[in-house]
Amino acid sequence: MKTYDAIVIGAGPGGYPCAIRLAQLKQKVLCIEKENVGGVCLNWGCIPSKALISAAHLYEKSQAGAAMGIKVSGVELDANKMQDWKEGIVKKLTGGVGSLLKGNGADVVNGTATVVGPKRVDVTRADGSVEQFEATKAIVIATGSTTIEIPTFKFDGDTIIGAKEAVSLRRVPKRLMVIGGGVIGLELGMVYQAFGAELIVVEALPELLTGVDPDCTKIVERKILKRGGTIHKNAKALGYEKQKDGSVGVKIQADGKEQTIVVDTVLVAVGMRPSSKGLGLEKVGVTVDQRGFVPTDKFCRTNVPSIYAIGDVSGPPLLAHKATKEGEIAAEVIAGHKAEKDWVAIPGAIFTDPEIATVGLTEAEAKAKGLEVSIGKFPFSVLGKAMAMNETEGFVKIVADKKTKQVLGVHIVGPEASTMISEASLSLEMAAFLEDLSLTIHPHPTLGESLMEAAAHAMGAAIHIANR
Amino acid sequence: FNEKPLATPATRKLARDLGVDLRRVPPTGPAGRVTKDDVRALEAPE
Ligand SMILES: Cc1cc2nc3c(=O)[nH]c(=O)nc-3n(C[C@H](O)[C@H](O)[C@H](O)COP(=O)(O)OP(=O)(O)OC[C@H]3O[C@@H](n4cnc5c(N)ncnc54)[C@H](O)[C@@H]3O)c2cc1C
Repeated sequence: MKTYDAIVIGAGPGGYPCAIRLAQLKQKVLCIEKENVGGVCLNWGCIPSKALISAAHLYEKSQAGAAMGIKVSGVELDANKMQDWKEGIVKKLTGGVGSLLKGNGADVVNGTATVVGPKRVDVTRADGSVEQFEATKAIVIATGSTTIEIPTFKFDGDTIIGAKEAVSLRRVPKRLMVIGGGVIGLELGMVYQAFGAELIVVEALPELLTGVDPDCTKIVERKILKRGGTIHKNAKALGYEKQKDGSVGVKIQADGKEQTIVVDTVLVAVGMRPSSKGLGLEKVGVTVDQRGFVPTDKFCRTNVPSIYAIGDVSGPPLLAHKATKEGEIAAEVIAGHKAEKDWVAIPGAIFTDPEIATVGLTEAEAKAKGLEVSIGKFPFSVLGKAMAMNETEGFVKIVADKKTKQVLGVHIVGPEASTMISEASLSLEMAAFLEDLSLTIHPHPTLGESLMEAAAHAMGAAIHIANR
Repeated sequence: FNEKPLATPATRKLARDLGVDLRRVPPTGPAGRVTKDDVRALEAPE
């Protein structure tokens, strides 16, 4: 039996940084992966979806130059070429992760891991052979999550698909229904909508993007409708029937009424389920909650002291950067350093068109906590740089404590929101006050000025808009 | 949010490394922030 200081199960954005950090801290580490290194994020999540989104953005922009005096004709998408390009990026990045692991001295084994003791792991290889490993210090569960399938919409890999297939389509469906108006459904739905698909969104809840500031969501909804899409809220997809011509008639129930909508492809994006089953966790006494998440303390430890859990499997938010941060923390704790989850807030970026990015409390959350708030808002429609980019939809909204003026949350919808949220995140981590943001000189003309102005607006001192 | 002492990530890490409870540190920084020196000052006498 081979022995390591630590064994990491899963090589996604949680597992591989954890293994690298452990190796950096001179721990002998093994990382076990049953598919490809990089996990969901690199292989069929964050990176592939963002590649398609950037292609869709270019496609749309190339046709929208008329106002700037640029006339383009005959813009065409070659979906095959786009997929080849995307797959090239994935290959480069996963190859990079492999070299980083090796370069840092971490061992990688390809196979399916099962936990057979508090410090013992079995790995089943593709050929069926089983190898046993022992950890002297810790096992880290970083097995991530998988797409939730609804029984009435079983994936067939072609007509009824999940996110994994949606990022690999080598065609643009004429009519695309997305079941689930969450981040993944809207991001991918809008990609194909930009390429010309008729988009139909079916969401069971009263709002799209639950939890996001509704003012931000509204801007994205407006764009979906403007491009000819349809949104059904409080609506349930009941089932479907295949038509002779290969299309599907989907029966939905909205406002108590049933109707059938004929589409070519159905993307089911109702959420992700933690991969905690079949790992042997119950046998070694690791607590798994009702939803399948593995609860951990601030050191990323489960109830079994030698077993840690990080990333999607350890609970929401199901985001790559959350997984990575937990991976680093777990590695440092295992190596005997003083580390813990002590962040103020985890930012979220939603790559719809326009983008939404948010960090900290929303106005509603702050009020629910009983806090009195000041709100500052600055629209891109009056910002010079946004006008020069011809992307003027959206705004920056800042939520601050009315008494202390401490910044509690920032919510951005508009161009480059995902990039600008980092400054807001730093502000929250540094315990910034509205003045800290508004007194910081931001270069002109840039999109970032909107943060400075929104902070000033919250104090009644914005220059480029009226103050209340 | 507001029960937390105002301190930057680096200051929070220093407090953790020195075993100092941030909530016990009298802040001297701008606008009531706990500085690294505040943390060190509390740690020193022991
Ligand atoms: C379409 C899509 C778009 C997304 N976009 C974003 C985004 O823009 N930004 C963002 O922050 N997040 C995004 N996410 C979410 C992000 O992908 C996840 O939060 C992230 O991958 C979680 O990392 P992880 O390491 O916890 O798990 P995963 O990435 O799921 O990795 C887990 C790994 O463990 C392996 N594994 C599982 N069980 C075993 C076993 N028994 N033995 C061996 N190996 C095993 C799996 O094969 C997998 O490779 C997106 C997700 C999807 C689906």
